[in-house]
Amino acid sequence: MSILQAAGVQKFYGAFCALDGVNLSIDEGEHVSIIGPNGAGKTTLVNVLTGLLSPTAGSVTFKGRDIARLGPLRLSRLGMARSFQLVNIFPQLSVRETIALAAISTLGAGGRIFASLQRSKPVWDTVEGVSALFGFSSKLDQPAKNLSQGDKKLLDVASAFALKPEIILLDEPTSGVSTAEKSAIMQVLVRAAKETGIKAIIQVEHDMDIVFGYSSRIIAVHEGKVLADGSPEMIRSRSDVMAAVVGKL
Amino acid sequence: MTTAGLEPSTSIPRSSQSRSKFGYVIPAVGFSLIAAFPFIAGPHYAILMFSGMGFAIALLGLNLLFGFTGLLSFGHAMFLAIGAYTTAYLTAAKIGNLEIILLTAAGVAILVAVPIGLLCIRYVRIYFSMLTLAFSMLLYSFLYKFYPITGGDEGLRIKMPRPALFDFSSLDTVGILTGPLYYYVFALLLLLTYAMWRIVSSPLGLGLRAIRENQQKAEYLGVNVQRNRLVVFVVAGVYGAIGGVIISIPVGLADPSLAYWVQSGNLVFMLLLGGYTNFFGPILGAVVFIFFQDQLMSHTEYWRLTFGILLALIVIFFPNGLMGIIDPRRRWSA
Amino acid sequence: MISSINILVSGVFSAAVLFLVSAGLQIVFGVQKIVNLACGSFYAIGAYFGITALSWALRLQLPAALFIPVLIASGLVLALVLGPPIERLLRSIYHRDEHFQLLLTFALVLMFEDIIRMFWGASPLQINNVYLAFGELRLAPDLTIPNYNLIVIAVALAISLGFGWFLQATRFGKMVRATAENASICEALCIDLRKVYAVVFTLGVALGTIGGALVIPATAASLDMGVELIVDAFAVVIIGGLGSMPGALLGALVVGLTRAAAIWLYPEFEMLAIYVIVIAVLILRPRGLLGKAA
Repeated sequence: MSILQAAGVQKFYGAFCALDGVNLSIDEGEHVSIIGPNGAGKTTLVNVLTGLLSPTAGSVTFKGRDIARLGPLRLSRLGMARSFQLVNIFPQLSVRETIALAAISTLGAGGRIFASLQRSKPVWDTVEGVSALFGFSSKLDQPAKNLSQGDKKLLDVASAFALKPEIILLDEPTSGVSTAEKSAIMQVLVRAAKETGIKAIIQVEHDMDIVFGYSSRIIAVHEGKVLADGSPEMIRSRSDVMAAVVGKL
Repeated sequence: MTTAGLEPSTSIPRSSQSRSKFGYVIPAVGFSLIAAFPFIAGPHYAILMFSGMGFAIALLGLNLLFGFTGLLSFGHAMFLAIGAYTTAYLTAAKIGNLEIILLTAAGVAILVAVPIGLLCIRYVRIYFSMLTLAFSMLLYSFLYKFYPITGGDEGLRIKMPRPALFDFSSLDTVGILTGPLYYYVFALLLLLTYAMWRIVSSPLGLGLRAIRENQQKAEYLGVNVQRNRLVVFVVAGVYGAIGGVIISIPVGLADPSLAYWVQSGNLVFMLLLGGYTNFFGPILGAVVFIFFQDQLMSHTEYWRLTFGILLALIVIFFPNGLMGIIDPRRRWSA
Repeated sequence: MISSINILVSGVFSAAVLFLVSAGLQIVFGVQKIVNLACGSFYAIGAYFGITALSWALRLQLPAALFIPVLIASGLVLALVLGPPIERLLRSIYHRDEHFQLLLTFALVLMFEDIIRMFWGASPLQINNVYLAFGELRLAPDLTIPNYNLIVIAVALAISLGFGWFLQATRFGKMVRATAENASICEALCIDLRKVYAVVFTLGVALGTIGGALVIPATAASLDMGVELIVDAFAVVIIGGLGSMPGALLGALVVGLTRAAAIWLYPEFEMLAIYVIVIAVLILRPRGLLGKAA
């Protein structure tokens, strides 16, 4: 069943066309990787799919609703979460607080102005669960700015998972992380997705080992267009795609 | 908000569980000192402390905006004026009951803060500061120019309000301000400090700090940025108006300079002096500012110069203010 | 008809002065990204120093034709004395949060008020007779315009044209504009940012002090003229657009003319009208009428 759809999405930055008629449909149970060379429009696509940018033309539907102008807040309530390509943290909030923030939203408690956060057991249960899953249990009291580069990116992902979304979009979750750490992060992601009941993962990824190792489907983007969309085997067999996206391979 | 220059020198991990007992000693000593003050200092100083408590209440609200949410209002003094003029109008209309005055001031503050807040919270950083400044100057020019309604530059006189269940008939003004009313205001300060503590320790309070640190990510994590900002703006306005009621009582006058932008600047100065990264910083800042100003003014006519140099030193060398020096480990809002 | 000409002339006169000060605010914001609350203080101290310079000129019995050059020179000298050390002070907060930049310039506002008080005392000062010495332009039997107003408008125009030429045509001006666009690239290209900042800030101060000096023959100098002017200058840059020079010109005209019209027609609305415009602009066009989108 399709959960997220893009139909004829165009995005212009002034005269520059970043996305040119993108059509895609993501089904439940899929782990989709978006690949493409730098400047192909991958991040723009994620930004349009997550409501950060509104498309110049075309529509994006999530669970049957047009989300073009919905904005991040309502998307998070509808069950969509994302992480960012560049480090995106709350520098002075601790790991505990960062994850708690998402847990509070899931519980719909963000507007409670006199309630005690410290005594809110469901929040801390979620924090405990998510931090255990992502290996943050011993770092809960660290301010985010003191974490290592890899942990900062992982915290961004972990807080997105703590929203218990139905679909999650990860913009290069393993970039800037050592090769050894990459597969560890991916295993955590896959396990976390299973345990939190996430229906679909969309991931922008450069590392082809990860792309072919973890995706159930691959969408290749090139110059703002979808060049190919299919199973890893199918993408691997298309030498034109491999040349355009991966370069000399 | 980028905080490159504000990184704490210590990086001791903070935790809601492992906060040291020592952390509560400083505020406890501080509040005891305020409570004992009319007994250990002369009436002049006790009345100063009375005003200090009023400013402290206003600053608690202002720091919810600046320290916690990252919005620097350069027009917060407009709420002081709202409190003071509400007091003036009500006491002139023979409504001297302090509870009614406080509630009315809070109500007026809400009525003013909601529409202004709805406009201002769409902006951040320097634009928020300039828009709030513009609104406070709008109020100032109204108070200053519309003589028949506002008394113009002379302002309006305020008669001594009286809380229900209190009998002031045997006391003179000084006796009231250093006696029963002093402790009434002290209790109000405690109550409002506690309420503010609840707010910053609430789920909403965490959301505020998230907004300050990274608005976009906060939104993606489901924090309702616009609503929270509005709530904070209104709460800050209510605290400001209540503070305005209190500081206008010993002066006995509501005048337009209360809304002037320099007054707003002074409020921010007090906040920085006490330390905006500490929950109790606003209270300390208000009291220290009031007393320091009083002492300076009695010794030199150039107190502004001293204050300017002091503010420059704080901004450059001690951005966490006095509380940052006294107790660097407890950076509540940081 | 007569009143509208009067409104026009007095409005453009105050707009001319306001433009000079706002241009100082704009250039410092554009290059150093600092909103300088103290620009009103430079204006005030420029006015007081202008009084000192002018009374010196009167004592030497210099001809009236030299009054304007004397006033401009006094503003320049003052800016050269004040600008570099204050820029040096501000250097400690260039990399800091803009809230702190605002507060450090607020500290300067407090300091300058007392510095003026120390040198010139607390009561307002005025130079008599100079304003009238410039004579009047009689347009109709019952319509005269003070020549001094016209001269100041012309001088302000000349200064802003010279300033524009400096920014557009000179090598240093190009460096200034490049720094405004992207300081880190300029630093990488070996442009001495310290020098650019010091010169730009001193220029900003000079625009304020000259603006203050030029109003002296027409109005009295008082301690609160600085804090009052900064609010007007703020209104100008909000209306015109923060960082935009043409915006400052437009904003100054809007504020100057609105004020002149209000004083003439309905004095109660003098300030109110300006803030209503400011708020309307912020709501409808937050970047200002001629401001660039972020």
